[in-house]
Amino acid sequence: MKYVGKKLGAMLVTLLLISFLVFLAFDIIPGDAAMAQLGTDVTPERLEALREEMGLNKPLIERYVIWLVAFLQGDFGVSYKYNMPVAEMISSKLPITVIMALISFAIMVIVSLPLGIYTAKHNGKRIDRCITVMNQVMMAVPHFFLGIVITYVFGLVLKLFVPGDYVSYEKDFGAFLSYIIFPCVAIAIPKIAMSVKLLKSSCVEEARKDYVRTAYSKGNNTSKVLYRHVLRNAMIPVVTLWGMTLADMLVGSIVIEQVFNVPGIGRILLTSISYRDYPVVQAIIVLIATVVIVTNFCVDMIYQLIDPRISVQES
Amino acid sequence: MTKRRLGKVLFVSMLLTLTIALSGCAGDKEDGGSSESAITIGIPQDLDSLDPNLATGAGTQEMLFNVYEGLYKPDSDGNLVPAVASDCVISEDGLVYTFTLREGVKFHNGNTVTVEDVVYSMNKCAGNGSGEPLISAFSIVEKVEAPDDKTVVLTLSEANKDFLSILAAGETCIVPADVADLETTPIGTGPYKIVSRSLQESVELEKFDEYWGEPAHIEKVTLKILADADAVLMNLQGGAVDLVARVTAATASELGDQFNIVEGNMNLVQALYLNNGVEPFNNEKVRQALCYAVDKQEIFDFVANGKGFAIGSSMYPSFGKYYMEELNDVYTTDLEKAKDLLAEAGYPDGLTFTIKVASNYQQHVDTATVLAEQFKKIGVTANIELIEWETWLNDVYSNRQYEATVVGMDASTLTAGALLKRFNSTAHNNFTNYNNPDYDAAYANALAAATDEEATGYYKECETILAETAANVYIQDLAEFVAINKKYAGYESYPLYVMDIAKLYIVEE
Repeated sequence: MKYVGKKLGAMLVTLLLISFLVFLAFDIIPGDAAMAQLGTDVTPERLEALREEMGLNKPLIERYVIWLVAFLQGDFGVSYKYNMPVAEMISSKLPITVIMALISFAIMVIVSLPLGIYTAKHNGKRIDRCITVMNQVMMAVPHFFLGIVITYVFGLVLKLFVPGDYVSYEKDFGAFLSYIIFPCVAIAIPKIAMSVKLLKSSCVEEARKDYVRTAYSKGNNTSKVLYRHVLRNAMIPVVTLWGMTLADMLVGSIVIEQVFNVPGIGRILLTSISYRDYPVVQAIIVLIATVVIVTNFCVDMIYQLIDPRISVQES
Repeated sequence: MTKRRLGKVLFVSMLLTLTIALSGCAGDKEDGGSSESAITIGIPQDLDSLDPNLATGAGTQEMLFNVYEGLYKPDSDGNLVPAVASDCVISEDGLVYTFTLREGVKFHNGNTVTVEDVVYSMNKCAGNGSGEPLISAFSIVEKVEAPDDKTVVLTLSEANKDFLSILAAGETCIVPADVADLETTPIGTGPYKIVSRSLQESVELEKFDEYWGEPAHIEKVTLKILADADAVLMNLQGGAVDLVARVTAATASELGDQFNIVEGNMNLVQALYLNNGVEPFNNEKVRQALCYAVDKQEIFDFVANGKGFAIGSSMYPSFGKYYMEELNDVYTTDLEKAKDLLAEAGYPDGLTFTIKVASNYQQHVDTATVLAEQFKKIGVTANIELIEWETWLNDVYSNRQYEATVVGMDASTLTAGALLKRFNSTAHNNFTNYNNPDYDAAYANALAAATDEEATGYYKECETILAETAANVYIQDLAEFVAINKKYAGYESYPLYVMDIAKLYIVEE
């Protein structure tokens, strides 16, 4: 329990640090939220009045503390650009990004599990070598490039979907899914390659261990040994990878959103940065950081659950 | 046992997800075949506000033009025509504007526009008597009165010949007095009403059936936000978007034959703007040398496949009355003369400076690149520094910390002042630090002029001074390419930054 407490403490400190760094970064880069709102034709008097109203003239630390206190009370502030509560803005876009990450994750698990086991079974054979080479290539290709290739091949050549014709999930969920599946595949492919490679090497390594020979000597056949004994142990590093991947996918979808013209969290984040819309950027960054940190924390916990041999030493 | 069951549940749920995803994938892609006419228009950025008084982006005003109207509005020839008002009488001294309200103009919520609404709207622009006016030009509005239920009288503290143009600008339109938050309930009098909006995604418009004027042709309009040039090309080619104004020359040439490309002007004064307040550009000879080094045709060739409209001063061709074509020939490419001028100015070995360009405007970046090459020929090294738009606004426009920049200036109203005012030595937005007493005098004369002809003469004098003193290296009004699917027609170019969606119609097959 002490361990959990410690981890939680570290989490909070990290979040605090991240939020402060974002605040600081915005203070350093040029640009003015008031000007971004009023445009170029504004008189200096009105600009100054708005800066005062927005509290931009206060010192950095004071602004940070004001933001932090409100944030902790659940008040995420109001977007400068849209004049709309930040919480409302994010909650309308969050489902898009989350659904994308979940579908990508499902694709990854569904494809990589059988493929990994298959290559482990056929270790060293020609088919295994083929898959390994493909894996290497897929791992090396960044997902946004895959996105472009997928758009071209499936969208413009095969016409399976209309590039850019995103449909809102509120309007037509089926059409939404049929569009979103393509960016999800783009996100999933490099992750599939990674987990297939890990699962295979992990299986192969486990298969060399003594308990496997014992299992064979008890009269089990290959499949039984593989599924009952080897796989369970071989899954440990893979599950760790998957845990981290989930967080990675949430973040990764921000880039892919741009390629496929999906108006999710990523779009809001990017435009808010260019409009110097601090409250929105702050909230999204803290949200993403929380997701990443919490996932890592959960992976740590699951790790212990799967394998009781691993327990965190309390020193 | 429990572990195994958990595994099974997981497996089944994954299978389910995949099935759903794939079945969605296989779904056919009919449009539904509804009889309602519709069009999807691609726009480069989200509308910054649905409240016309608060909207600042040129791209926002461009679209809100279809939703809100002022007492007057511009037409496609650049004339001012009555809109919510049917008539306007201006007093001899130019101080009293008497508007007669048009009968039967309705707001999108079905209410009829009353004089109270007009008074409310005008007062809102003037800041409701609470210090700073919302629209800076309204600082001269002394009072707004409604003597009877179809007349509104505006009294100014000083005459301004451009005041009617200001009333026709998008930001001074008539809004209902009983709607407090236009941001969430946008209500105007235009041919289209806003139905819904999804942030960073789209805005849905619907034809307003009770519009007082000529009704729109197309029932439903979707404004779809396309973040970059790749998205524009893909959406057009894929058929997700029917019309995009201002595509690049490259995109225009890549589009297949299901599109018409309408060519027009962007209505911008694109120039290499020079900071007249710093070395070496405080020297007129240096500025002139740069002007002589420029070959405009080469810029057109490189930036827009040879298309562009040369300009020689801070005025573009759409402003027929003020535009002076002869100023294009003040500086013709003459490298020897340029070198001589540089030597006279004390830079016989050339000089080095930095051009700051906002990286999101490809046409300006391209222009800067060509300019830098051309300057090399006279021994001038121009380094290009790409910066973000917000940084540009802050460093270049507000703080004037730059040597040179390539950008385009647009006119927010149909007045010469919109393009010339900023070169007054005391103008708050005089970001080029141009300081010339002759110019200030000519501009003041234009404002004080009794007749329109006289004013036009002074404005032309202003333009000539800018050209002759080489305030900046004036280059062009960029060519604009509007891509329209051949299913639609009726696109009209305006001398202002607006898109008239009501004029679009579907071509019968």
